[in-house]
Amino acid sequence: MPISIYRIILIGFSVPIIVSRLVRFFKREEGQSFYKLFSTLIVWMPILAISINPQIAYYISAKLGLGENLNTLIFISFIIVFILLFKLLGLIENLERNITNIVRKEALKDIKPEK
Amino acid sequence: MRSNKRVFIVIPAHNEAQVIGSVINGIIKLGFKNIIVVDDGSSDDTEMVAKKHGALVIRHMINRGKGASAKTGIEAAKLLNADIVVTIDGDGQHNPEDIKKLIKKLDSYDLVLGYRLHPESKMPKTRIIGNLFANFFTWIIYGLWVKDSQSGFRVYSKKTLNEINLNYDKYEFDSEIIREIVKNKIKYIEIPIEVRYTKYSMNKQSRQTLVKGIKTIVRLFFLS
Repeated sequence: MPISIYRIILIGFSVPIIVSRLVRFFKREEGQSFYKLFSTLIVWMPILAISINPQIAYYISAKLGLGENLNTLIFISFIIVFILLFKLLGLIENLERNITNIVRKEALKDIKPEK
Repeated sequence: MRSNKRVFIVIPAHNEAQVIGSVINGIIKLGFKNIIVVDDGSSDDTEMVAKKHGALVIRHMINRGKGASAKTGIEAAKLLNADIVVTIDGDGQHNPEDIKKLIKKLDSYDLVLGYRLHPESKMPKTRIIGNLFANFFTWIIYGLWVKDSQSGFRVYSKKTLNEINLNYDKYEFDSEIIREIVKNKIKYIEIPIEVRYTKYSMNKQSRQTLVKGIKTIVRLFFLS
């Protein structure tokens, strides 16, 4: 069976992303964490696996009882994307609060408390 | 007896150089001396104008939002040993004459919320609809129906200031107070206030818009 273009593109994207993340993690580069490695693998490993062997999607669909088509994959992808977005929103909010706390501390530094 | 209490008026302001002077003057005329203007990273002369009119100006080096500014002002007032804190908008939409009316209610309550939506107010229809939506979502999320969840005109007693914990930076700060009322069982009252919508306040960049309103609701849902 000839390999289709979309599979080549997905493999072309996922392999460098996974390899680069693994290399950066094991080299202990600054800013790398197990959470980042885990997030990369949880998203890109399934994409790579299904690009190499699309039958995996049918297998998962059959096992989950959602029908033998790519709908399962799309469904799971949506859930993953939603979780990641939610996580990102939380992280951004935390960052925003930290920035505000720093700005507030700086703004109030000249106020002398009265009793 | 409230006359010997230390009252602080907190005004969050972002690019309000055009009107902040008249807002401060209006408050000073009523006899209030402790006015804190929080300049939220303005790019105009808000800081200079506010200082010139006799307010204590605290400046955020970058813009952090109305909620963040109000909280900074409240923290400053607490450091200065405030007994009562009044928050009022910096765009001139609130009438300072209402301050005394609201403060008087602290004899029996710990928090006074000004509300704009009443028969005498000249609130534009779009604002009325937006306000009702905000009230509805605040009720859904925090379980307390208030007449104006987005009003910036509020009066806090010292007890309330020590009880509440506020974290939101943007407009959701206004609804956050409602959460604190429920959580801390704060004794509150809603009082009608005069609202003055001018061409200036309706056109300014930092006003609450439909898109900002939707963002506020999303943040309230996901971060509460």
